[in-house]
Amino acid sequence: VNKSLLVKYFRTQISQDPDVASAAAAIRSLLEFLKRDQSETLLGLRENLTEAIRRLGEADSSVAVSSGGELFLRFITLTSLEHLDFSQSKNLLVERGELFLNKISLSRNKVAKLCHTFIKDGAKILTHSSSRVVLKVLENAAADKKRFSVYVTESQPDSAGKLMAEKLRRLNIPVTVILDAAVGYIMEKVNLVIVGAEGVVESGGIINKIGTYQLAVCSKAHNKPFYVVAESFKFVRLFPLNQQDVPAQFKYKADILKTAEDLDKEHPMIDYTPPSLITLLFTDLGVLTPSAVSDELIKIYL
Amino acid sequence: MVFLILYSTLAMIDVHSFKRTMPVTDKEVALSERIEAFLAELKRGGSGAGTLRGSGETARETTALLRRITGQAQWSSAGDLMEIIRKEGRRMMATQPSETTVGNMVRRVLKIIREEYARLRGSSEVTDQQESLHQLLTSGGLSEENFGQHFKDLRANVIEAINELLTELEATTDHIAMQALEHIHSNEVIMTIGRSRTVEAFLKDAALKRKFHVIVAECAPFCQGHEMATSLSEAGIETTVIADAAIFAVMSRVNKVIIGTQTVLANGGLRAVNGTHTLALAARHHSTPLIVCAPMFKLSPQFHNEEDTFHKFVSPHEVLPFTEGEILSKVNVYCPVFDYVPPELITLFISNIGGNAPSYTYRLMSELYHPEDHEL
Repeated sequence: VNKSLLVKYFRTQISQDPDVASAAAAIRSLLEFLKRDQSETLLGLRENLTEAIRRLGEADSSVAVSSGGELFLRFITLTSLEHLDFSQSKNLLVERGELFLNKISLSRNKVAKLCHTFIKDGAKILTHSSSRVVLKVLENAAADKKRFSVYVTESQPDSAGKLMAEKLRRLNIPVTVILDAAVGYIMEKVNLVIVGAEGVVESGGIINKIGTYQLAVCSKAHNKPFYVVAESFKFVRLFPLNQQDVPAQFKYKADILKTAEDLDKEHPMIDYTPPSLITLLFTDLGVLTPSAVSDELIKIYL
Repeated sequence: MVFLILYSTLAMIDVHSFKRTMPVTDKEVALSERIEAFLAELKRGGSGAGTLRGSGETARETTALLRRITGQAQWSSAGDLMEIIRKEGRRMMATQPSETTVGNMVRRVLKIIREEYARLRGSSEVTDQQESLHQLLTSGGLSEENFGQHFKDLRANVIEAINELLTELEATTDHIAMQALEHIHSNEVIMTIGRSRTVEAFLKDAALKRKFHVIVAECAPFCQGHEMATSLSEAGIETTVIADAAIFAVMSRVNKVIIGTQTVLANGGLRAVNGTHTLALAARHHSTPLIVCAPMFKLSPQFHNEEDTFHKFVSPHEVLPFTEGEILSKVNVYCPVFDYVPPELITLFISNIGGNAPSYTYRLMSELYHPEDHEL
């Protein structure tokens, strides 16, 4: 089966539904790939899937796609041994895949339901860059008739913060865009900080758009709660000890990885925030303290 | 004629609905009377500033009442029983929201019911029903468990399990006090605040074998520290009472701070008597370990964001008596009962199952309660 078709399918998924999480789009593409795959044995299927995941990673190098792909692969190995007949197994896999996709499409709502009660009336919220989960949380809080205002960092180099501000304005939430450098300046006015995550690592820390670490250090210095909202399929099996430990394939965009000569001269797109700076994580598995994340990861990857 | 028939049918309907809502048998009447009596006591008292009921007693009475409900109410499947218990639980919690042990016991009993049901049904573990990534991947649609099956032995099993819970509840203070010798050494200076029965038993148990000094902060405006000091000195412990304002000044001489709490929150923080946050900050400043003695029934799945139910305010005349009439019209006077202490300030939790770090609280919670019961 053609790998470039897969990448094209992935790209159309994202463009058709800009609200979908990139990991969910990746899993949907992999499910489609699974349906069209022609291999006769489980090993062949697994090899093809691994290759497909690698190709997807080349198209979109974010942590979320990688974690979604690995989860899907894991899920294949968990469910495949019950039936001797390969085609029966395959049908079961496809069915379970659809069920999995349905469940994760609900996860963003679950997260928003848990988090919006932490936003009090009159709160001033600071967020970073553009996150669809944070948007959902704020949407829920606004629907609950809470009055609050939001500061969004501009988040260079792609000015994603301005997009977020636009979306919030459409929801009639008062929003101000601030410079990335103005985080320290604004922190004294803020009541709480909420950010999304591209990946949640084993230690309970997060990998997110560059600038998140700065935000976390600042909020710790001012004693403001730092909340992270992430769906459970973003949990990855990484354990970075510092910024340099994050694998280079996640730090830079896919095209830069292919064309750059010296990666040291490129600007990374993500950074790592250690768990000591995070107050609470809101996931569809519940409200977790950073120490609870590794327990959840152990439960899947036993 | 038609009118008469209509009237009689209406009367019959009325009687039927009346029969359905009013308890029919004597047992049911007695049960609902017990529940009403308990609710009235809850409303009146609560622990702390009110009547003498401590949270341990509240927990035991709640569990005994839930056992009665299990034994006497009409139910045919686990789902029905859980619904009845949830309903009664919600009523009890609404009467006195700050008394979290009531809700905690209800959630424990619900978990017991789930476990007994799962055991009778023969399914592998209750962990099947817990939310996890693993469960998301492998369940294949089984997650809609509705507890509808009827089992003959369920009633007896649940009552037996609740009896075990009651035995555990009775022994909690002793189990905590047994660990005292590991934490208190000779010639140490221990600081505590207010009055906690658990800490009292803890210190008295250590005093049997060691000699140490206790400083009690009086914890204004209720000044329960005075009673604590009297009780400790009767047991032969050298005690000093200080005013709350002197906590920071004295802290440099203190080796350990041991306190009780009203509730342990889900993130490892505390809801404790007012003044505890001050004590915790002073201890952190001097790098003095802060040990919290809290039995497991105080662990609650709440967070401190719930503004309406977190704080409890009592009559301000403790702070500023009504005799100061002239001033009263010009100032606002508040008398909060509780304080929030964040988990970073706490060193160790000592509970009836042993010592734990605050970051481990999430694990204890997942063992005691089912995630679906967090919101009753």
